[in-house]
Amino acid sequence: MSETTLFWPILIVFIGALFALIIGLSPLRQRLSIPLFATLLAIFSFSAFLLDISTWPSLNDGRALVWQINWLPSLGLTLSLYYDSLSALFVFLVSGIGTLVLIYAGQYLKGDENAWRFLHYLLLFMGSMIGVVMAGDIITLFIFWEGTSITSYLLIAYKSKYEEAREGAFKALFITGGGGIAMLAGLLIVAHVAGGTDFVTILQSGEALRNSNLYPVMLALVAFGAFTKSAQFPAHIWLPDAMSAPTPASAYLHSATMVKAGIYLLERLNPAMGSTEAWFWLLTLVGGITMLTGAYLGLKQNDLKALLAYSTISQLGVFVMLIGQEVEAAFKALIIGILAHALYKSALFMVVGIVDHETGTRNVTRLGGLRRAMPVSFVLATIGALSMAGLPPLFGFLAKETLLAAAVHPTFSPLESYLLASAIVVAGALLLAQSGMLVYETFLGQAKDKSVHAHEAPWPMLLAPAIPALLSLTVSLPNARTVEPYLASAAANAFGTAVKVSLDLWTGINTPLILSVVAITLGSLLFGQRAQVRAWQNRIPATVSFNRVYESALRLIDAGAYWATRLQGGRLRLYLAIMLLSMVGLVLRFGATLPLVNLLANLTWPTPTADGELAILRIFSLVFIVVTALASVLLERDFAAILAMGASGLGIVALMVLEPAPDVALVQVVVDILAMVILVLALARLPRPQRRKAQELTLKLKSFRPGLLWDGFVALSVGALVTAVTLTALVSRPRESLVTPYFEENAKPLAGATDIVGAIIVDFRALDTLIEISVFGMAGVGMYMLLRYAARKYGDVGAQVEELPAPIQRLRSRGIGGAKTSSFVHALAYFSLPLALVVAITHIMYGHDQPGDGFTSGVIVSLAVGFWYVVFGYYETQRRLPWLKYDAQMVSVGLLLVVLSGLLAAFINGTFLSPLNFGAMLALPLPKGFYLSTAFLFEVAISLTVVGSVTLMLNTLGHPGQTQEEAKARLQEIARLEEENEKQAKG
Amino acid sequence: MELLTALSIGLLTAVGIFQMLRRNLIRSAIGLIILANAVNLFLLSTGAYAGTDPAYVNETITGQRSDALPQALILTAIVISMGGTAFVLSMLYIISSRYKTSDMDKVEGLKY
Repeated sequence: MSETTLFWPILIVFIGALFALIIGLSPLRQRLSIPLFATLLAIFSFSAFLLDISTWPSLNDGRALVWQINWLPSLGLTLSLYYDSLSALFVFLVSGIGTLVLIYAGQYLKGDENAWRFLHYLLLFMGSMIGVVMAGDIITLFIFWEGTSITSYLLIAYKSKYEEAREGAFKALFITGGGGIAMLAGLLIVAHVAGGTDFVTILQSGEALRNSNLYPVMLALVAFGAFTKSAQFPAHIWLPDAMSAPTPASAYLHSATMVKAGIYLLERLNPAMGSTEAWFWLLTLVGGITMLTGAYLGLKQNDLKALLAYSTISQLGVFVMLIGQEVEAAFKALIIGILAHALYKSALFMVVGIVDHETGTRNVTRLGGLRRAMPVSFVLATIGALSMAGLPPLFGFLAKETLLAAAVHPTFSPLESYLLASAIVVAGALLLAQSGMLVYETFLGQAKDKSVHAHEAPWPMLLAPAIPALLSLTVSLPNARTVEPYLASAAANAFGTAVKVSLDLWTGINTPLILSVVAITLGSLLFGQRAQVRAWQNRIPATVSFNRVYESALRLIDAGAYWATRLQGGRLRLYLAIMLLSMVGLVLRFGATLPLVNLLANLTWPTPTADGELAILRIFSLVFIVVTALASVLLERDFAAILAMGASGLGIVALMVLEPAPDVALVQVVVDILAMVILVLALARLPRPQRRKAQELTLKLKSFRPGLLWDGFVALSVGALVTAVTLTALVSRPRESLVTPYFEENAKPLAGATDIVGAIIVDFRALDTLIEISVFGMAGVGMYMLLRYAARKYGDVGAQVEELPAPIQRLRSRGIGGAKTSSFVHALAYFSLPLALVVAITHIMYGHDQPGDGFTSGVIVSLAVGFWYVVFGYYETQRRLPWLKYDAQMVSVGLLLVVLSGLLAAFINGTFLSPLNFGAMLALPLPKGFYLSTAFLFEVAISLTVVGSVTLMLNTLGHPGQTQEEAKARLQEIARLEEENEKQAKG
Repeated sequence: MELLTALSIGLLTAVGIFQMLRRNLIRSAIGLIILANAVNLFLLSTGAYAGTDPAYVNETITGQRSDALPQALILTAIVISMGGTAFVLSMLYIISSRYKTSDMDKVEGLKY
């Protein structure tokens, strides 16, 4: 691997995961036995392993390889990798043990239909884990870090039908995920202080980090993240519960890899953030307490996996403690310890898995005497346990020797040395007793439960633990010394300066050796008296259980969620008021303010010049708009209020004309009328009793309610805010536009239009317009669907009954609401439609040079149709204008036409929706000012879509009655009107 | 002029919000339309040029053209808000047929 190919180990493993997924989902799965499948997948992780060990030697001089791509350059985010000896050591463990675990898992899960899922997750986890230890910046680190949390959740919850698996998985995710977020916050502060997110920058700015005011905050957050991941006290509670995972996952995640992620993070940051008082005390205390807690609780366990989990916690505590120290010897001990622990712990986990698999239990009170039935397992377990106990000539012995040597290092004060050494001796003794128990209670003695039958596992399953177990032995071989420089380099990466690592088992009779002998003696005593000790341990009630803290935290969250949902009273108006007031509050709190003096100085006042006349008209329009809007509040009848609102909209039209913005004025006027028509139709749809009741609720000037004060307060505070914002914006706006001159210059040459606004709509921002009319079309279709749904759900009859009841038949040629319309109005309606069509067509044809566009033309046609609805009523209009039935088709044809013409332009010009003039291309004789171009097609399409969509709206809202109740109410109403009419005719 | 424009837009917003807070659903719909008008006015007032002539490419135009960009934005905004209004009206109808009322306070389907 070189710098440019650094991503290969991660990529290969993820490709393996993809391969597992594809095979798993395809019929090929039936043909492939699980062991063979797993072995195939192991090739991927083994390739990563080979890549790692092939590169490691080149890093022994302390070099780091860095690879990066700019991911979001505007935010300064990069995706980068950082690979030095420390990373190489971890990749070695992750990919090496991963390979063995894959082979082992294939045997372990033989006969499980869904095992491919497990293998898939395992590879995903492996890729994420390699990503964590190779991440080159904090964002990459965080992404992979969370990746390990999520994939470990999937792995622990693999046997998801068991509640304990689900709960254990959730607990792990909750604690490590929460820690991950704290870590991200801490690392972001680190990056802020260091001035860069990448580790190269961070590692170079150790001085700045340590002297920063924010140091305690970042240390606490980062350490919290690392401690939760690495199961430090009191966050250790998730690890024993995670033992509900299948044993291959436990062997992998909870011995060698995931729990070491926190250790890795602390090691990585130690050169930059370490060597301070706070660092020393935090890590030493937490690590020390974890070490003792884990060792103490481990001895209590009956379940072999739980025993291993607690001893792992203890070991992790040791590592954290070592990182806190400022001496070279500690880092020597750390690197040796990590390697030794990964080897013996994975071997032990896998052997325990074999025992569980072959006997059906892993409870020490039921096992015993398995040495005859399972001799190979017995030997492997013994090697692993001896290493765990720290006995020569195994790797674990060396780890403990170096650990003790670090503890009695001369830089410590005698008291510190004494405390550290005695804590380590006690923990070591407890671990030794556990190791002995593990081997003795399982393999030696007599079988305690006759119902437990055992036989040896197949050889490939034994191979997996055999390799790390035998590697634990190789430290005593003479050529083991060749790996010393590798470990020294990794230790140096973690320590910051050079570290000397030697793998000498015998260093003469010195303090560490004596302490070791003390620990072994004490441990043997404990082992001998284990029955009494364990009985004594069980008598002490667990008064402080952090599981209880965890559970009450969960309960608190549940209760919080409960009360938060209780707050949702369903009062929509209250919601709206709260949202609006929050907006006002946020702007007041965080909005930038312009000094009032500047504001006033920049105001301009209307002057009595030629320009002033326009200004007076503008002022009149503004006043008109506001007064009519106010009238819509004060008018008591809904219909009158709608008219007032329409008048207010027309005031806006006047303002647009004065701007001068003829295109906008045109669209505004038609849309304003359309809005009124639709509102009136909607009003007519509401049953009369409902309307009457709603009318009673309407604001009346005579009767005043206190609630109005509240509404008025909300409205006025938002209004004041908008006034302030608008005023600030208006006074400080630039008087030079950056964009508009471009449009002005290029409208003619590029788009061939003299109407600049039209050119922007159908040309420069054509994609916007395409989306805009899609939204408009969708609104129409959405309305139709909604009303159909409501009709189905609440009993629609009108939609299905083709034959109308006789009284309605009679009312066919009546206007909306059953009112009679005069022949004069009929004649107007007859004329309006063809006239509207002509206007619409000219709008489309000359929209490029004149005010008006496809949208206006569409609305004009729709308005004429709306007029018909009002004059002739629903059924008669439908009968006379049969094309109204094809509303949805018009929308789709319109949209299709835009896309097709855009694609045609893309095909010819290479740009989607770019202008094309077919008329000129084909030399067609066309009238002056009319161009047959893509813009024309676009306008036609917009027009079609709008007509279709508005027709949909009118068809749904104009439908006289969809439920039987409605129809009945309508008939009664009409009968009443008839009577009134007759009375009037008589009188 | 700025003060007056800002005040009008603010008042229009206030009226729109006040209408939206009415219990009568038709009034809420009216409020929505008025609010959309206020937003369009705001957009219009953001134009950089105090124009005297429409935004056309034409030799006969000698004065300052009005700013075309906010106009194009308003056109889009008008169309979208029209679609939105129509959709809201259909929801109003559904509320009326489901809860048999057009009183907003009687709509309780959103209660936790």
